Amino acid sequence: MPKVTIDGRTFDAPAGRTIIDIAAQNGIEIPHFCWHPKLTPAGNCRMCLVEVEKMPKLAIACMTTVADGMVVQTASEKVLNARHAVMEFLLINHPLDCPICDEAGECKLQDYAYKYSIGESRFEEDKVHKPKRVELGPNVLLDVERCIMCSRCVRFSDEIAHQPVLTFTQRGTHVVLTTFPDTQLDNRYSMNVIELCPVGALTSRDFRFKARVWEMSSTDSVCTGCARGCNTNVWVRNNEILRLTPRHNEEVNSYWMCDDGRLKTFKHVNAAERLSAPLVRKEGQLMETGWDEAIAKAVSELRLFRKNEIAALGSGFSSNEDNYLLQKFFRETVGTRLVDLVEHVVEGDQDDLLIRADKTPNTTGAREVGVRPGPAGEDLASILQGVRDGSIKALYVLEDDIAADPAVREVLGNLELLIVHAHQRNATTEFADIVFAASTFAERNGTFVNFQRHVQRFRPAVATQEQDRALDGFNMSRWDKFAAHNDRWGRGSRRDARPSWRILAALAVVYGVKYRYQTAEDVFREITERVPTFKGMSYLAVGSRGRTLAAAGTTAPAPVA
Amino acid sequence: MMLPPSHPDQATKWENVILPPTKDLHKIDVYRQGGGYGALKKALAMKPEEVIEEVKRSNLRGRGGACFPTGLKWSFMPKAGTKAKYLCVNGDESEPGTFKDRQIFEFNPHLLIEGTLIACWAMGITAAYIYIRGEYGKWIRMLERALEDAYSNRLVGENILDSGFTTQIYIHKGAGAYICGEESSLMNSIEGDRGYPRVKPPFPAQVGLWGCPTTINNVETIANVPVIIERGAAWYAGVGSPKHPGPLLVGVSGHVNQPGVYEMPTGVPLLEIIHKWSGGVPGHKGIKAVIPGGSSTMVLRGEALEGVRMDADSLKAAGSSVGTAGLIVMDEDTDLIAVITRIAKFYYHESCGQCTPCREGTGWLWKLLTRFEAGEARMSDVALLMDVANNIEGNTICALGDAAAWPVQSMLRQFRDEFERRTVDRPDDAPVSA
Ligand SMILES: Cc1cc2nc3c(=O)[nH]c(=O)nc-3n(C[C@H](O)[C@H](O)[C@H](O)COP(=O)(O)O)c2cc1C
Ligand code: SF4
Ligand code: SF4
Repeated sequence: MPKVTIDGRTFDAPAGRTIIDIAAQNGIEIPHFCWHPKLTPAGNCRMCLVEVEKMPKLAIACMTTVADGMVVQTASEKVLNARHAVMEFLLINHPLDCPICDEAGECKLQDYAYKYSIGESRFEEDKVHKPKRVELGPNVLLDVERCIMCSRCVRFSDEIAHQPVLTFTQRGTHVVLTTFPDTQLDNRYSMNVIELCPVGALTSRDFRFKARVWEMSSTDSVCTGCARGCNTNVWVRNNEILRLTPRHNEEVNSYWMCDDGRLKTFKHVNAAERLSAPLVRKEGQLMETGWDEAIAKAVSELRLFRKNEIAALGSGFSSNEDNYLLQKFFRETVGTRLVDLVEHVVEGDQDDLLIRADKTPNTTGAREVGVRPGPAGEDLASILQGVRDGSIKALYVLEDDIAADPAVREVLGNLELLIVHAHQRNATTEFADIVFAASTFAERNGTFVNFQRHVQRFRPAVATQEQDRALDGFNMSRWDKFAAHNDRWGRGSRRDARPSWRILAALAVVYGVKYRYQTAEDVFREITERVPTFKGMSYLAVGSRGRTLAAAGTTAPAPVA
Repeated sequence: MMLPPSHPDQATKWENVILPPTKDLHKIDVYRQGGGYGALKKALAMKPEEVIEEVKRSNLRGRGGACFPTGLKWSFMPKAGTKAKYLCVNGDESEPGTFKDRQIFEFNPHLLIEGTLIACWAMGITAAYIYIRGEYGKWIRMLERALEDAYSNRLVGENILDSGFTTQIYIHKGAGAYICGEESSLMNSIEGDRGYPRVKPPFPAQVGLWGCPTTINNVETIANVPVIIERGAAWYAGVGSPKHPGPLLVGVSGHVNQPGVYEMPTGVPLLEIIHKWSGGVPGHKGIKAVIPGGSSTMVLRGEALEGVRMDADSLKAAGSSVGTAGLIVMDEDTDLIAVITRIAKFYYHESCGQCTPCREGTGWLWKLLTRFEAGEARMSDVALLMDVANNIEGNTICALGDAAAWPVQSMLRQFRDEFERRTVDRPDDAPVSA
């Protein structure tokens, strides 16, 4: 194996790899703007210049391939001088508008200005002025003055999104990033250029000017937009989600997520119409009630029916824990065999990058933990048929607006009892007798299983009445941490919503069975004990990267210590 | 007062071979009557390796600025392979002070076409592009006409001179960017892309035009090839300076009585070029400075010209380079600050903007220099100017960054007093302009 020496330490260097690659892999940071592990290198920012023995000039670490015996210095005086020079050059025409720039706080240029520059400018001339607030597409806005022409966005659009609409025009300091005539940046992954952009040149039209980065907490989560389950960060201020951003996970979504996932999967969490108490139908109207009353009511109502008159539907939008308890409660305690779920597949709406036709994050997981047709073929179709012909009189539905489908809506009127878990009023709650206010993916702990059978965790980022940001160990922003009692952002509104598994456990207790789950993790532990493909897993082992389920019928992977 | 440098007694004798004084030589019949396309015939009778060997032995060095040995460059091309191979003939000619390739387009276009064909034969190339700057509209049309004639005489295209060899020549018109003269940028431009230089390695002989092995040569370099084949490498190697031999087109501009392009052997003393070939300095004034090889080369002081010759080694020893042999003469009354400000403006205007130091640095140099020009610079700006130039040099993707830095650095080294004289006494924290 060829060897390369970087800053006095010697590493294996497989042929064809670059200096920056080997350095990164061994924990040596070589600063860079234009290089990105998933894009073809461009070599234009010159920030990664390093000294290579026997080379007359400094070399760019991003495009210099290693050779056996190569000796590299990444922090020699010559290198530091070049780095200071590049930083000074980059800043001379860069607007000093950090105080109003969305990127401030997560800006590579700003970070490097602290880390790798001399901290002052000798430039006293006029800066170049260029267009601002240019609409590149429906979701992305460009400030050309802030652009450092690293071409990351151009390469992303060409190479990853396969929509080659971005280019540079003009020359020198007058270079302008733009779209080709009659085109716009409107592919389904367009917003990834926002994080790729090392500065604040590309901003999200949805998030722009909503918050400073440090005012928000950031919590590892999973996108609920489709069965890919892209890893995300949920950004919260004043107990409100302001944006989702992709989180790197090579096995699932690399560095990316789609625009729909980013824009359409969190707004309902903040919605003013969110339910903040259970609802019980009284004299034809759904009225807010206390939890104890709603739970007691649900149990007494369910008891009026025979086992085979009751059916339950899990949900691809609910966690494994929720679905597991649903099927357990209905199979073991209520005693029905009628458990299934509604799938949400949009035929043809998928691609080679991330987007999946299954528009739920967890149908695979729900199936895996037992939400599937019974031994005699008791499936969704037979449940709906039973509702239609009146043999099924009571239906219990996890978080899923099943009535959005006209074929389902048509039969719901036949039911004598409909109990649903919901985040807000929807087509299904119109028919419901009891509605439990369920917390969303952003308000609880849980796991999903994506289409690759990858188990992934999500964590609470938004506080509800039953859990507290500080006491329950949420990630906190500086504002959260240092807020005084009278600071608005320290409070925010907290809804009285509960995780579905907890509601089900409460029902079971009233039913007279002892379900001793204190946390979602307790439910997960039972899943790992009772579902063979989950064997050996734990929240700790699933971690922030996820773990793949054992193939059905094989031994489960050994737990990580 | 500057001492007038000594005058040589007489001009070196030379009979033109690149630009001979034959009337109507641009016409194919005239060219052929004088033996034109004879070298092609001769070359086609040789093995391609023999042609490359001959060019190597001639010691021909590229006329595009870097003096790279041409035969060696050709030998980098893979011999066999499944990929196409290309030749790009570089006629972008946009360097201030350089206007010699234009003479070839105008007065001896068939020599260029013949050289292109021989180069193609030597390297096994079946398609060549002659890239000409867009501003040369008239000369593009002249070369196009010559190429049409060559095609209709069956000297280009299928089965050239019944040798079985086939090659096509295309003329590609540039769109007005100096950077497209840089070889990798030129290839991007031909491909229809933005004129951005490529990071090297890989070098064009491995990955060039459309990803295929490619050689890029200057127009004048290629025009020398038929001469080498016709007269033999030994003859050629004996012309002018042994390490950088051959006829050279020297473009003289600035303060001389007869500016123009002169063909001469390499190694002619600069003072002879100025006084004998170009008619001396108007008003018999002293020479303050010269830029010997186009605006990218380092400036030399007038007093330091004694004994300096127009060839690679002599100019290197003098602290400059031969570049494209575009000699710019500045008399004793020249405002060098105005000169360097104008040169800096050129590079600022022409930087492609791809890489940071050149994109940002060229503008900064120019803005600083405009303050010197206006007499508003501080003493500390002299050092700053040098620093900015040093910070560009060697840190960029292509040599335009160096080309922008060198004139400023050398001007500062040679004429620091002129910069200092243009400063005002102003505290460092006072605003830039009053
Ligand atoms: C900014 C820049 C501009 C250039 N312009 C030209 C040009 O106009 N013509 C040319 O022949 N070479 C030009 N060159 C040099 C070419 O890159 C290349 O070295 C040359 O064409 C090789 O030809 P030669 O080996 O025959 O000299 C330029 C180089 C740079 C860096
Ligand atoms: S907009 Fe951002 S990502 Fe695109 S080139 Fe400019 S700095 Fe780079
Ligand atoms: S050195 Fe200048 S001209 Fe060359 S690539 Fe960089 S910015 Fe472009």
